[in-house]
Amino acid sequence: MFDLQNIITDTGIRLCLDCGKCTVVCPVAKYDVEFNPRLIVQGVLAQNGKGPMDEKIWSCINCSMCVERCNYNVKFTDFIRSVRCKALAEGAEIQYSHGGTPQTIMHIMAHSDIRQNRLNWLPEDIEVHKQSDTAFFVGCAPYFDVIFSNLGVKTAEGTKGALRLLNLVQIPFTLLPNERCCGRDLLLMGDRDGFLSLAQANMHEFRRKGIKKIITNCPECYYTLKVDYPKFLENWDIDVLHLTEVIAPLIENGQLKLGRLRQKVTYHDPCTLGRYSRIFDQPRRILNSMEGLEMVEMADNREKALCCGASPWVNCSVINRQIQKERLGQAGATGADILVTACPKCQIHLICAQKGSENNDICQIEIRDIFDLAAQSLLPQEVS
Amino acid sequence: MYTELLVFACNWDGWSCIETATNLGLSYPASVKVVRVSCISRINVGLILKAFEFGAAGVMLLGCEQGKCHFGVGSEYITREYEKARRILNMLGIWEGRLILVQIPAFDGHEFVRQVTKLITEITQIPSPKYARGISPRPAQYSKVDSYL
Repeated sequence: MFDLQNIITDTGIRLCLDCGKCTVVCPVAKYDVEFNPRLIVQGVLAQNGKGPMDEKIWSCINCSMCVERCNYNVKFTDFIRSVRCKALAEGAEIQYSHGGTPQTIMHIMAHSDIRQNRLNWLPEDIEVHKQSDTAFFVGCAPYFDVIFSNLGVKTAEGTKGALRLLNLVQIPFTLLPNERCCGRDLLLMGDRDGFLSLAQANMHEFRRKGIKKIITNCPECYYTLKVDYPKFLENWDIDVLHLTEVIAPLIENGQLKLGRLRQKVTYHDPCTLGRYSRIFDQPRRILNSMEGLEMVEMADNREKALCCGASPWVNCSVINRQIQKERLGQAGATGADILVTACPKCQIHLICAQKGSENNDICQIEIRDIFDLAAQSLLPQEVS
Repeated sequence: MYTELLVFACNWDGWSCIETATNLGLSYPASVKVVRVSCISRINVGLILKAFEFGAAGVMLLGCEQGKCHFGVGSEYITREYEKARRILNMLGIWEGRLILVQIPAFDGHEFVRQVTKLITEITQIPSPKYARGISPRPAQYSKVDSYL
């Protein structure tokens, strides 16, 4: 049952003072004058949660910028998630991006009788300890590389780099051959049933393999496993770590020394790793530890970092394109050679914006994954 | 065994094959469902996978011959989407032979019927139980929300 009273209590929506700061910082509202977080809330409350939902609820990109800026910590992103859940159950028509491929793959994965064949990309030099109780959660990177092969996206390179780093610091891990998507996108777009079936399938797989600890390099998987799974699943007792939390301390105490890389880079904070999970320093420490690497910050960074314009694969429009253009413009203005990010989805959305630009008005900076770059720095290099 | 097969047929050469088969009175299993599209390049990975999600045992993409697309580049486009869909099916552990791309000349009703019956036979005779596993249908819409998310 959709219980408006519960939603009001949990999201603190009545604490809103109508100050309008959320609208000022909202990247969607900047380009879409009709999108206004406060008006969406007022619309839902005025109807007492009945009647059709405002179509604008699908434009929110869940970047959490409004929550970051709100003085009263009104959780607008959670509110949007709840009303989306109701709208979807009532048969709302959504514009799925990419033909709905990611959602369909997630729904197929949710079946209990699926036996995936998902470790084909794994290079031979990576050592996997099958008996280990630490799992590396790969996420959907291998699928993304196929779906977005026409964009030349290589998100699995980041995963390979991450696994090589773990091998180097001799942290044993296992890979799950039948791991499912974490389901974050379904959760964000309001498909609660789909999310739950994926979460339960994953839980079953972790239990079957006796997993005690999970390391992941995907911020979306990290946040979902760490924050959302305990809320939805009973007896969740698995420790979840982001790879930057594992690697950064090792660099600080000298156990790991990254190599040399003569590049000027800038770091793009993924919303889920930054504003949601508060991991800002660790990726920067990893980058700064590389010899010869010059790190420059974009105009909007850390808590204020602009989103890559991503939504949970729904309602991607010209508004999102303009946000991406602005972000890439900020990256270009730093004069950096490479835009480094820690999230495969950020990588896909920004590359998609670059490839989709018709008159070359979008900055064509190279976009790389942080772990891909870190692993590259360790390779033997030519002396220049 | 009822093997539900979905055929995405291009409005031009693909559809003409099916019409010819009908006019000639050729018979093929009733479990074959045809969806007529204005060009086979309208079909993308998402729609192909959607068919499997909703319980199709096999999907056939029936389009114009390579390079003979009515609109120009449709036949090359669908080849790319077909390759992508096969790779994803393989990763999901679904036998990729359940999806075929058929690019035959216009009005070739006999070839269409041959290909359809061949695919159905192949699907019903898959030896390994691993690959015989179809995707059971699930509802298109989620009708209820249990509690606050």
